[in-house]
Amino acid sequence: MTSINKRKFWQSPWGYPESIAVTAGIIAIGIILQLTVGSFNFYLLAFPSNLIIAGLLTAACVTMGFKAPNNHWVRWLSGVSMAVSLLMGLLILGIIMGFTPQQADETATNSKPGFDIMTRSWPFVLIYSLTLLSLGTLNARRLIAFRWRDYAFYLNHIGLWLLLMASGLGYADMERYVMYVREGETEWRVYDDENNIRELPLAIELKDFDMDVYPPRLAIIDRHNGQVLPFENPQFFAIDTDTPTGVLAGWTIQLEQYIHQAVRNSDSTYREVPMPGASPAVLVRAYNDSLLRKGWVCAGNQTQMVMTLSLDDHHSLVMTTAEPRSFESDIVVYTKDGKQKSALLRVNHPVSVGAWTIYQYGYDNNAGRLSAFSSFELVYDPWLMPVIAGIIMMMLGSVCMLWIGRKVKTTKHDLE
Amino acid sequence: MTWNNFIWFALPAMACWCGAGTTIYHKRGSTPANWLMLLGIAIFAVFIIGFWMHLERPPLRTMGETRLWYSFFLSSVGYVAYRRWRYPWLLSFSAVVATVFVLMNLMKPEIHSKSLMPALQSNWFVPHVTSYILSYAMLGAATIGAIIQLNRPQGYAPGIFDLIDNLIYIGYGFLMLGLLMGALWAKAAWGHYWSWDPKETWAFITATAYVAYIHIRLRKGTASETFALWMLPVAFVLLIITWLGVKYLPAAQGSIHVY
Repeated sequence: MTSINKRKFWQSPWGYPESIAVTAGIIAIGIILQLTVGSFNFYLLAFPSNLIIAGLLTAACVTMGFKAPNNHWVRWLSGVSMAVSLLMGLLILGIIMGFTPQQADETATNSKPGFDIMTRSWPFVLIYSLTLLSLGTLNARRLIAFRWRDYAFYLNHIGLWLLLMASGLGYADMERYVMYVREGETEWRVYDDENNIRELPLAIELKDFDMDVYPPRLAIIDRHNGQVLPFENPQFFAIDTDTPTGVLAGWTIQLEQYIHQAVRNSDSTYREVPMPGASPAVLVRAYNDSLLRKGWVCAGNQTQMVMTLSLDDHHSLVMTTAEPRSFESDIVVYTKDGKQKSALLRVNHPVSVGAWTIYQYGYDNNAGRLSAFSSFELVYDPWLMPVIAGIIMMMLGSVCMLWIGRKVKTTKHDLE
Repeated sequence: MTWNNFIWFALPAMACWCGAGTTIYHKRGSTPANWLMLLGIAIFAVFIIGFWMHLERPPLRTMGETRLWYSFFLSSVGYVAYRRWRYPWLLSFSAVVATVFVLMNLMKPEIHSKSLMPALQSNWFVPHVTSYILSYAMLGAATIGAIIQLNRPQGYAPGIFDLIDNLIYIGYGFLMLGLLMGALWAKAAWGHYWSWDPKETWAFITATAYVAYIHIRLRKGTASETFALWMLPVAFVLLIITWLGVKYLPAAQGSIHVY
């Protein structure tokens, strides 16, 4: 170790100064590339290029790590000083990205060095690639000197390598579409993110769409401009039968009856009718020092009128539009080879058919429960398996870390 | 138990914590400090449980609710770490920070409605958020240790790096569990495990900063030790941006992760 203090810059074995210089140099080259040839085109990585690159990368890591684990260049490339320098590089690029609004569009950029399209910019892509090479070589070096007691190291480092490799290279093969299906119909055409229509090898039939809402909130508005009182700090009262009394802008509100699925009677009262056109309605008493009002309030929907409670000449008690509690689609998926799969699709509960995953995406927001269509997102991601494997390995590695903490090591070897 | 009852639990809990944080420095204050700290944690836990039952959903959705957990976890983690490492400052600092977060909730209460949007209705919700808050508490305690050490002219406190490194390893373990569970949840809810949403970008930044600390610590030497100590307050600032600051950034307008 003492030799490090005596050696000159760029004299082997390399350490921190050279690692920092190389990382900075690569970021500089990345910026020059970005300024001259423009951003990195991720779709160059589409199958089969990404598979070939993954193969070459693995071969390079394995060759260096297995054949020359003690060569000082290999040790430098996969050593601690390089790891810290690359992490600092990623940290700085990440912070720039965190402070710069990113462009969603694949091609648009307003910033010459590409800071607003960070993940598609050359500095990021180069540092990411070098990290994969360094980490992969380290994994190979540690695997050739396999020790069971290093299990936490393997889980964290191999898991991270799988995750970074498969998510980076697999990005170009991912396809995402949105499909709109009307109730009772079958659809196989989808829209991509540029609104082009495509036909898919699978079709979806929407048998039924249904949704439920939370009890809405009450508010007092100025009838002339529709603004919620008090203007500077609008107040809302959540309808909750457990806490039937509340205060809104100086008025005490008391809930007398709440009907979740209500339909209006001819005398402007409400009764419970569970049907798609029903809407939440509430019977309230509202009073202040001088006035007492009682009546029904309803937010209404496409089939029912709004009902408000007039408090005085200027103010009314109104109900907000209810927030969705859940929405679900009863569907059947048909594939080209004649398979069928029935499913009840909800948010957080997608369904998989081959390499496709189908998600509940949306509905007609204006119609709410009366929506005549449901929309689905269809995602095709053939690189998902190694990503999930990497995530699970890293989760196990994290459990090891929080269980064991940091073991104080006294070993002299330089393998970390 | 509603948000209106909070003050009747917050005041006694804060009194207990602050009492523990000061009596710990008295000659025979160790036993009363232990009991006061535990009593404060218990009072706070009773409120969280009652509030959870009232809301009929886990109180993990709004900023105010996550601050509730932060006070609870930081006081608990601070107490356990104090029992293990016997540094009185660890107890008093975690008591002070837990109190500050209670005060924030008293000064700036937020609307705590019962509604939980469909994307948040998932089995991943509770473990994802509690893992993160627990990790923030650990990493916060480690940062306090680093700042105390940086202001100590007479050299390293005995065992200080053992304490800090262990807190960082445990905190980082929880941080990564929170992040990876978030990725699996995002796959189920939004169709992709990582979309570089501003919250995700900042989570990446925070995780990278702590991985850098862990790797810097693999090499011995005063220069790298000092650098590692300085890294912790910086990393904690990045963590605070991820947790509390993202919604104020121009880069985050339109994010689906802001609440």
